[in-house]
Amino acid sequence: MSPFAIALRNLARQRRRTVLLSAVVAFGFAAFALAGGFIAQSFEGLKEGTIRSVGQLQIVDRRAVGRSEETTLEFGLHDAARARAIASRVPGVASVLPRIDFVGLATNGAKSVPFLGVGVDPEPEAAATYAKELVTAGRYLSGDGGDGVVLGTGLASALNVRVGDRVTLMATTPDGSLNAVDGLVVGLADVRIKELNDRYLAAGAGLVWRLLQSPETVSKLVVFLKPGADESKTARALTNALSAAGYDVAIRHWRELATFYEQVKLLYIGIFGFVGAVLVIIVILSAAIVMTMAVTERTREIGTLRAMGTRPSGVLKMFLAEGVALALLGCLAGMLFALVVRAALNASGIILPPPPGATHGMPIHVRFYPLAYAAGTIAMIGTMAIASYFPARRASRMSIVEALAHV
Amino acid sequence: MNETSPPVVAAQGVSRSYRLGAAVVPAVRDVSLTIGEGEFAALQGPSGSGKTTLLNLLGLLDRPDAGTIEIEGKEAGSLSENARSDLRRDRFGFIFQTFNLIPVLSAEENVAYPMLLAGAPAEQARGRARELLDAVGLEEKFSVRPDLLSGGQRQRVAIARALANRPSIVFADEPTANLDSRTAEETLDLMRGVCESSRVAFLFATHDPRVVARARRVIELHDGRIESDRRVA
Repeated sequence: MSPFAIALRNLARQRRRTVLLSAVVAFGFAAFALAGGFIAQSFEGLKEGTIRSVGQLQIVDRRAVGRSEETTLEFGLHDAARARAIASRVPGVASVLPRIDFVGLATNGAKSVPFLGVGVDPEPEAAATYAKELVTAGRYLSGDGGDGVVLGTGLASALNVRVGDRVTLMATTPDGSLNAVDGLVVGLADVRIKELNDRYLAAGAGLVWRLLQSPETVSKLVVFLKPGADESKTARALTNALSAAGYDVAIRHWRELATFYEQVKLLYIGIFGFVGAVLVIIVILSAAIVMTMAVTERTREIGTLRAMGTRPSGVLKMFLAEGVALALLGCLAGMLFALVVRAALNASGIILPPPPGATHGMPIHVRFYPLAYAAGTIAMIGTMAIASYFPARRASRMSIVEALAHV
Repeated sequence: MNETSPPVVAAQGVSRSYRLGAAVVPAVRDVSLTIGEGEFAALQGPSGSGKTTLLNLLGLLDRPDAGTIEIEGKEAGSLSENARSDLRRDRFGFIFQTFNLIPVLSAEENVAYPMLLAGAPAEQARGRARELLDAVGLEEKFSVRPDLLSGGQRQRVAIARALANRPSIVFADEPTANLDSRTAEETLDLMRGVCESSRVAFLFATHDPRVVARARRVIELHDGRIESDRRVA
C-alpha cells in the first residue's frame, strides 16, 4: 500500500473537502491556462501586427544606424531598385518593399495641416501589410500609385477633404528647397491610433520622389521572409549580398523597431505575473488550511502509523502525496473548465476596449496554448506541494504518544 | 525464557516525567523490568499509576528521561528515530483500546500494511493477512472496512495486524476496555492461544480483572513504581 494509494483513499473518504480544494486548484489552473492563452494570443497578434507593419527585417543605409536625419532622406538608400532586386533574390526572402518616410504640409487651398507621409510601392505593400484593410472610404493605392494619396481619417477631417478631392503636398527636398505636388485623395484610412490618424498620408513612391526630387532613394527596404526562414541567417545573407554589390547597409530586426510590442509584452508579463502570484498565494493558503485540518483530524491515525513502524518520512510522503493527488485532480478539472470557458469566450464576440491611444477595441480571443497548461500544472503541483509540506512536516514530527492520546 | 537468549525487552532504572503547567509530574520512577519470550504479562494498577507510560517506553513509542531499555539485548536509547521505527515495525505489535485501524483500508489491507511497510511482496503480504484473519475468525471479512465491523471484530483485526510481522512482543493497552464481556473473554482467549502457540510475548496495561485473571505474570504499579511482580502458575 503506497503512500499515494492511501492518499487517494483519504481523498475519496473526505469527499467534500476534496471537492472544495480541487475546485480551488481547478480555478487557479484555469486562470493560468486562460490568462496564458490570452497573453499568447495577444503577443502573437501584436507580433504579427508589428511584422506586417515594419517587416521582419529592414535594410537601411549604415549611416542611419543610431542617428536621426536632419534633412529628409539625408541617410537614404540610393539606387533602391537595384538593391531591392538583389535583396529579393536572397534565399528566405518573400518580398522587399520600399518605404520613404517624409514629412510636410498638406493643403486644400484654404488650410494647411502637417502630415507624416510614407511612400510605398502600392501593390506589394497592399499584399504584405494591413494597408488595404485600414481603408474605410474609397480604395487603397493601385498600380504605381500615380498621383493618388490615402489620408488618415483625422487628417482628411482636418483638411475637410473627401475621396475624389485634390490636395497639394508640400515638403522640403534633401537639398533644402521647398517643393509641392498635387495629389488626388483616393482613400481614407483608419490606422487605429488617433495621433497617427490625424497625420497619416500614404502615396506611391513615384509621387514622393517627384515631391522630394530624389528619384530611386528610399528611407529603407522592408523585408518579409518566407515561413520558417531564419531571421539571423537571412540578415547575414542580405548584408553579404548587398555589400558585394557595393551597398554599405545595416540590417535591423523587427524587435529593435517594435518598442510598442516590447513595452506591451513587459506590461502584460508584469500584470499577469502579479495576478499569478496572488493566485498562487490564495491556493497555498486555502490548501494549507485544509491540509492542516486533515492532519489535525487524523492525528490518532498518524500516531498509529508511527507506532506500527512508519518512519517520519513515510508520514511526510503520505500527506505530500495527498497534496499532489489533489493538485492533479484539480488540474484535470481545471483543464476541462478552461477549455469550456475558452470556447465560450471565443464564441462570445466580446470586444475588448481599445488600448490607450488606439481607436478600435479587439475581439477577445483565447488561444489554446499548451505551454500555459503545462505551466499551470507545474505551478499547481508545486503550490500544493508547498502548501502540504508544512502540515505534513508537523504530522511527521508529532510525538507518537501525544498523537495516540489525541481525542 | 530461554536460558541463552536475552529478554525480549529489558528496562533498567527507567523514569519518565511529564510537565503539567509549571509542575513536573513523575509518571514512571526508576523501574527495572524484563519481559521474556512467550510471556503473558499484565501491568496492573490504578489510573495514573504509570501503566500506559511504561508500556509506551518499553514499546519505544516514547523516550525515558533516565534509565535504559534494551530490545533483545540491544540498547535502544541511542537509536535514531528511523531505527526505532524499524524496530517497532519488525519486532513489536501494538493493540490499542480504541482499535486504531486505518479507516480507509479494508481488514485485509490493515493487516497487510505492516508487512508491506517491511518490504514484503504484495501477494505474500496479502496471503499472510488472509491467514491471520482466518486465524482470528474473520475469514468472511477480508474486504470489509473497519467502520462496518463490530468492536470485537475490529479488535480481532488489530490482533491480526499486531502479529503480521511475527513480532517478539505485542503491547496491548487496555485491549478489552471497549468490548463487551463475552467478546473481551473471547479476545483474551485468542491472544493467550497465540502466545502459547507462537511464543509471542504479550504485555498488557489493564484495569480489567479478566485480563489479570488470564495473565501468567502480574506486575502491580503504584505511583510509577513497581509494587509487586508475581508469577501465576
